[in-house]
Amino acid sequence: MVAALTRRFGDLDVAEEAAAEAFAAAVERWPADGIPPKPGAWLTTTASHKAIDRIRRENKRDDKQKEAQMLYDDDPPEPLGAIDDERLRLIFTCCHPALALETRVALTLRMLGGLTVPEIARAFLVQETTMERRITRAKGKIKAARIPYRVPSAEDLPARLSGVLAVLFLVFNEGYLATGPGTDPVRQDLTAEAIRLTRLIRGLMPEDGEVAGLLALMLLTEARRPARLSASGELVPLGQQDRGAWDAALVTEGLGLVRERLAAAAAGVAPGRYQILAAINAVHTSARDVRDTDWSQIVALYDQLARLDPSPIVALNRAIAIAELDGPEVALAAVDRLDDRLAGYHAYHATRADLLRRLGRGQESRAAYDKAIELAGNTAETAYLTRRRG
Amino acid sequence: MQYLVSVINDTAGLATPDEQAAIDVFNDRINAEGYWVFAGGLAAPSASTVVDNRGGETIVTDGPFVETKEHLIGFWIIEAPDLDVALKLAAEGSKACNRKVEVRPFL
Repeated sequence: MVAALTRRFGDLDVAEEAAAEAFAAAVERWPADGIPPKPGAWLTTTASHKAIDRIRRENKRDDKQKEAQMLYDDDPPEPLGAIDDERLRLIFTCCHPALALETRVALTLRMLGGLTVPEIARAFLVQETTMERRITRAKGKIKAARIPYRVPSAEDLPARLSGVLAVLFLVFNEGYLATGPGTDPVRQDLTAEAIRLTRLIRGLMPEDGEVAGLLALMLLTEARRPARLSASGELVPLGQQDRGAWDAALVTEGLGLVRERLAAAAAGVAPGRYQILAAINAVHTSARDVRDTDWSQIVALYDQLARLDPSPIVALNRAIAIAELDGPEVALAAVDRLDDRLAGYHAYHATRADLLRRLGRGQESRAAYDKAIELAGNTAETAYLTRRRG
Repeated sequence: MQYLVSVINDTAGLATPDEQAAIDVFNDRINAEGYWVFAGGLAAPSASTVVDNRGGETIVTDGPFVETKEHLIGFWIIEAPDLDVALKLAAEGSKACNRKVEVRPFL
C-alpha cells in the first residue's frame, strides 16, 4: 500500500505517514464499526484522504494543481499484479546507487520491511536519532535530487538488481550473525525479513538466476539455524552440527532452487556469485554426515567463484576446503599468502589457528586464537574461539 | 530539472589537449540533445579573490575561500528529467574531462 501511495503522491514521507494513520484509524474504528467488506480498499482510500489532507496542510509549491489532479484520480483498486509492481519500484528506489549502502539498508527495512526506526536502530547498533536522521536525509535526497520512482530500464536492470541483492544479503547476514544469549530478537527477525523480500523479488523476476541463487543461499543457511548454537550459547561449526536439527523444508526448497540453477548452467547460462555460493552450501547440506562431504566438488566451486570474485575472503574459504582435500600444511601456505589483506579479519586468524592446531604448532595456534578473539564481534563466536584456544 | 555537475581537480593541471578534445565532443553532444544549459572551465584557485561584505567594511582577500587539496576547476549546468539521466551524463562528462565530478540538484 505504501508503494501505491508513493506512486500516487510522489513522496515517501507522505505515503508512509498516511499509511500509518490509515492503520491507526482501522484499529480504532473496525472493532466498533465492524470490518468493511473490502478492507484493502478501505485502507487505501482512507490513506489517500489523509495524504491529501497532509499535503493541503503543508502548502507545498504548485500543490493547487497537484491537488486537483489527485482528487479526480479515481483509479479503481489495482489488481495484485500492479501492486507487486509498485513494491518492485519501491525496492529499486530504496536501493538506488546514489544512496550509501547503510542508507539503502535502512530505507529498505523501513519502507518495505515495515520495521520501526527504533527496531532498525537496535538491529544495526546505532543511536535512534542517528537512524532517524539517516532515513530523513535519504528521503530528502530522493526528493531534492529527483531519484526516479521506477523499475530500471532493461539495460540498467542487471547492475541495479545486483545493488538490491547486495542490500538483502547484508540484511540477511546481519540477522544471521546475531547469535548469543544477549542478542536482541529483532536481529533474528532480519533473516526472516531478508528472505521475505528476496521471495518478493523472486516472485516478480522468476527467471533471474542470481535472485534464485540468493534465495537458495539464504534458505540453506537459515535451515541450519536450529543447529548453530550449543546449549551454552556457543557457535557450533558446520562440521559438528546435528544435521537432524536442520529445517528439512528449507533444505528441500533451497536444494530445489540450486538444482534449477544447475540445469540452467548446464544449458549454458553462466552462474553468478550467489548461485555458486548456494551450490557450495548445497554440497554441504546434502551430505548426511560431515564425513560424506564432497570436498573436491566444493573446491571446484570455489575455483569457479574465485574467477568471478577475486576477493581474499573467497580465497580463505577455498583454503579451508583445500585443508580437507590436501591437508592442513598446503592450506596454511595458501592462507598465509592472504595476510596483508586479511590481517584485520577475525575469521582469517581463526582459520590459521585451526590449521596450526592440526599441525601440532600449539603456541602459534593459541596466539592466532587470541588475535581472532580480539577481533571477533559476536559473543557466540568469541565463546567458541575461547574454548578452541584451550 | 537542473543539476550542477562540478569538476573536481586534485592535481595542479588544467585540461590536456586530449581531455579538451573529449570535453568538446561531449559538449557538442549534450548541446544537440538538449541537456546543455551552461558550462565552463575555471582558472586555478590562485586566481580567486574572496569578497566579504557582511559586516561594516568590505573585506577583499587574495586567494580561494579555502585551501584544499581538491578544488573546483569547471562545471556543467545540465537540464535532466531525473537523477538517473543526470548521473549517466555526469559519467560521460567525468570520462571526457578525466576527473571526478559532483552532481548536485538546483533547488
